Amino acid sequence: MGHGRYIDPIGDARSKPGMTESVMADSDRPSPVITIKAGERLDLQYVVLPGESRDIDVTVDLTGPGAELSLKALYLTNAEEKVNFRILVHHRAPGCRSSQLVKGVAGGSSKVTFSGTIVVAPDAQKTEAFQENHNILLTESANVETKPQLEIYADDVKCSHGATVGRLNEDELFYMRSRGIPMGEARALQMLSFLSPVIPQERREEIENVIMAL
Amino acid sequence: MLQIKNLHASVEDKEILKGVNLTIGPGEIHAVMGPNGAGKSTLAAVLTGRPGYTVTEGSVTFMGKDLLAMAPEERAWAGLFLSFQYPIEIPGVTITAFMKAAVNAKRRAEGLPELKAGEFLKLQKEKMAFLKMKQEFAKREVNVGFSGGEKKRNEIFQMAMLDPMLSILDETDSGLDVDALRIVADGVNALRSPEKSAIIVTHYHKLLEYVQPDFVHVLKDGAIVKTGGRELIGAIESEGFDQF
Repeated sequence: MGHGRYIDPIGDARSKPGMTESVMADSDRPSPVITIKAGERLDLQYVVLPGESRDIDVTVDLTGPGAELSLKALYLTNAEEKVNFRILVHHRAPGCRSSQLVKGVAGGSSKVTFSGTIVVAPDAQKTEAFQENHNILLTESANVETKPQLEIYADDVKCSHGATVGRLNEDELFYMRSRGIPMGEARALQMLSFLSPVIPQERREEIENVIMAL
Repeated sequence: MLQIKNLHASVEDKEILKGVNLTIGPGEIHAVMGPNGAGKSTLAAVLTGRPGYTVTEGSVTFMGKDLLAMAPEERAWAGLFLSFQYPIEIPGVTITAFMKAAVNAKRRAEGLPELKAGEFLKLQKEKMAFLKMKQEFAKREVNVGFSGGEKKRNEIFQMAMLDPMLSILDETDSGLDVDALRIVADGVNALRSPEKSAIIVTHYHKLLEYVQPDFVHVLKDGAIVKTGGRELIGAIESEGFDQF
């Protein structure tokens, strides 16, 4: 499954991108590194709303047995906005779990890129690592590129990744309209249902209002 | 209520409806029967404004308005309802959220205040009880994981909630066992009134045993070739559509 030679970017290697070229090739600068130690759990949540361009550039190292990461990200883009996700999750110890779910809706002439990599080191047996990136294009001129990657150097692991780029479902839209739900509200309902798993509970109302106003 | 005149419609440049004429008055139930491929579902799709169908000739007037000029949601507000042959699944949207949006959109269009959460839930509860549906149903995602019978019952539930002037039931009886058919038929019968009308589209006489139509039309090769009363159902049952 893996390709190339495994390079352990331990220590200060992160500041020398050349050391991890197989996973950092797209990045011209080092990303901040978040470390999760043995038995610890970290929840990361990113929300990008219309009106800003942003680079979300993050590396997570799971350094001790049983470390756990949950990363959720949501984006809604419009106009000429550019949002880039560069996510590297490095499983360096056995028995760690990571899940990533990145979902968003690209409108206007916005450009979104997702580059996500999971690296599983040779001794990180019993790793469970999942990564999903799903995108909806709202307009003809919006653009999404997604590049999920797995680099697995251990043999007893459960890993999966998936990526999709699609449009709002026309049959659903017609069904809702045939019941009298106006076009704009029907689309908003579709977006809400699509984004629901990545909407943080405490920001639900705010995000619902943003979607209704799109 | 509804006047269809010389309606021609195509799907991807293939003409399916070739001059349909049909007039429906208040309080009438019309059955449209015909073999597979006759254009029954196309007729239902064109009347409700489904994308992908092009009307090439003819007119449709509903409640005094040009139906074909209206968006699908405007047709719903005017009182048109289609029970889908294949109801659509909407993952992530609960029946409650879906119906609340639909009922309140219609009320806004009628110039009425939106129903408050409590008022809406009361209405929903009544209609569900009436159709012998379990209350948990309202929490489920629209049609997701529903059996064929549940989907059709959900269509009739939506019909009851929206209280349309004209309901089109497109093959509502297909895929239903006798008990489910009975519940659907009871629902349709209970919604009958001197003002409300329905078109029952079917290739099959089963539902018509429970919901008795005033008129029966035979649709064949894109046109209505025969119109009569209930006696036509028996003739179709015994000798099929080839006789027309």
